[in-house]
Amino acid sequence: MSKSETSHSGHPHDHAAHDHDHHGPATGIKRWLFTTNHKDIGTMYLVFSLIMFFIGGAMAMLIRAELFKPGLQLMDPVFFNQMTTNHALVMIFGAVMPAFVGLANWMIPMQVGAPDMALPRMNNFSFWLLPFAFTLLLSTFFVPGGMAAAGWTLYPPLSLQTGDAFPMLIFAIHLMGASSIMGAINIIVTIMNMRAPGMPLLKMPLFTWSWLITAYLLIAVMPVLAGAVTMLLTDHFFGTSFFNAAGGGDPVMFEHIFWFFGHPEVYIMILPAFGIISEILPTFARKPLFGATSMIYAIASIAFLSFIVWGHHMFVDGMPVAAQLFYMMSTMLIAVPTGVKVFNWTATLWRGSLTFEPPMLFALSFLFLFSIGGFSGLMLAIVPVDFQYNQTYFVVAHFHYVLVPGAIFGIMAGVYYWIPKWTGHMYNMALAKWHFWLSTIFVNVLFFPQHFLGLAGMPRRIPDYAVQFSDWNMVSSIGGFFFGASQILFAILIVQCIRGGKKATDKVWDGAAPHGLEWTLSSPPPYHSFTTAPEIT
Amino acid sequence: MSAAPVRRKLQIRNAALGLATVALAFYFGIIALFIVRSHH
Repeated sequence: MSKSETSHSGHPHDHAAHDHDHHGPATGIKRWLFTTNHKDIGTMYLVFSLIMFFIGGAMAMLIRAELFKPGLQLMDPVFFNQMTTNHALVMIFGAVMPAFVGLANWMIPMQVGAPDMALPRMNNFSFWLLPFAFTLLLSTFFVPGGMAAAGWTLYPPLSLQTGDAFPMLIFAIHLMGASSIMGAINIIVTIMNMRAPGMPLLKMPLFTWSWLITAYLLIAVMPVLAGAVTMLLTDHFFGTSFFNAAGGGDPVMFEHIFWFFGHPEVYIMILPAFGIISEILPTFARKPLFGATSMIYAIASIAFLSFIVWGHHMFVDGMPVAAQLFYMMSTMLIAVPTGVKVFNWTATLWRGSLTFEPPMLFALSFLFLFSIGGFSGLMLAIVPVDFQYNQTYFVVAHFHYVLVPGAIFGIMAGVYYWIPKWTGHMYNMALAKWHFWLSTIFVNVLFFPQHFLGLAGMPRRIPDYAVQFSDWNMVSSIGGFFFGASQILFAILIVQCIRGGKKATDKVWDGAAPHGLEWTLSSPPPYHSFTTAPEIT
Repeated sequence: MSAAPVRRKLQIRNAALGLATVALAFYFGIIALFIVRSHH
């Protein structure tokens, strides 16, 4: 798709000349509190996510420190359980999801040629709910009984034993859910109503497409989680028995509705990363994306399948053989569209003029390491195999491969790809490559041995373990400490890039030009981009 | 304001309200489903 920057009247579109017609940002704290600008809100989401990444990361470091050797070292078991529970909640709802929403806020209006998001004031509200939600969640550290410790899945009856933190946790989840739903509504409405004239849906950039599908998933499943935790709340405080067997309820039904939310949630955290990788590989291979339309159908198929596979999280609960077979087969079916994507990415690289800048390195690492997580997922989909692996470290290894070198590397690839456009500065390439290599090496040192531990039978969510698991736990913890420390480089790079650096060109990357409207804007883009709709020819 | 921007504004409002209604329907729907189920 080629674009020209002419306005509808046919005159050259000069952003600088237009800027005097539009107000710039407010100054001081007011800019951030009251902003309705998609770039400001995107920045706030990304900064918030980075802070949460380090808070969740600190919890992970405590977990790995405790597991460095057998025996209880640093904390009592209840505090260990609090750390595992809140590490998950912070990383999922505080780090990964807001990071993708931040990228969506920055990039979707720029990719579809819109001046801003469709509902800018709601955009501000959906961001500002998050700091309150996480202040509430993290402040449970100070209440009697401490933080929630029943696991992020909040299964009753265990979760109902949470102390004073319980209502705070439930309210925090409601706030996070409301924020996500409003963000999703905004994204769908923006994409469906504010695309530049001449941009049909199938010609939209893949990142925007992946977010359109993700937003529908969010609207379908976040209210279900909110409904489930509301029922937990009424069971705890108002004497209902939705999940209380003594009152005629059924705790297994909570698991069903939780995983009806939980499995699509996994895809909510990975589909936007698929979109980012689909943007980066063509740029650094200097080739169009292979099978772009099939990529869209593959993402849509994965999204559809995510609604019918939730039972694979519950094989050991006991279910009819027909249900086991259904969930096993439908789960394995996900490998088909995922295989289409991996094949298309590989075919995009085939005979391309490859260069290996940091976004490309992270994208390639994603391709290999996410596939490892995908393969271990296929193993877990097999019912009799799951009976063996369930509740072991093999599961921990699986989902961390999907979420760390999958979702988080996808986010990092996206930040390294677009940050020169956002700030107008190139970052320190050598330092970024150091960040890449340290992250890629140590993420494997951290998580690969956990496969061995799981296969040998080490249970998850325990602060102590039998001595035969010592060696690989020590290796995993060392990997964890180095992986955690190397993320400081990421924060340093971002701060440096915001403060200054070599001037970025408008195109930023050699191969970037044909792959999206964002590269037609200046670096950094004007405060209000596309005040006149770009013409797509 | 010409007709086109007004129409777009209405489309945006209606789309947002429609999606919000779907979300609320899922929220109250799942709770209603459990209440109905508990009476059978």
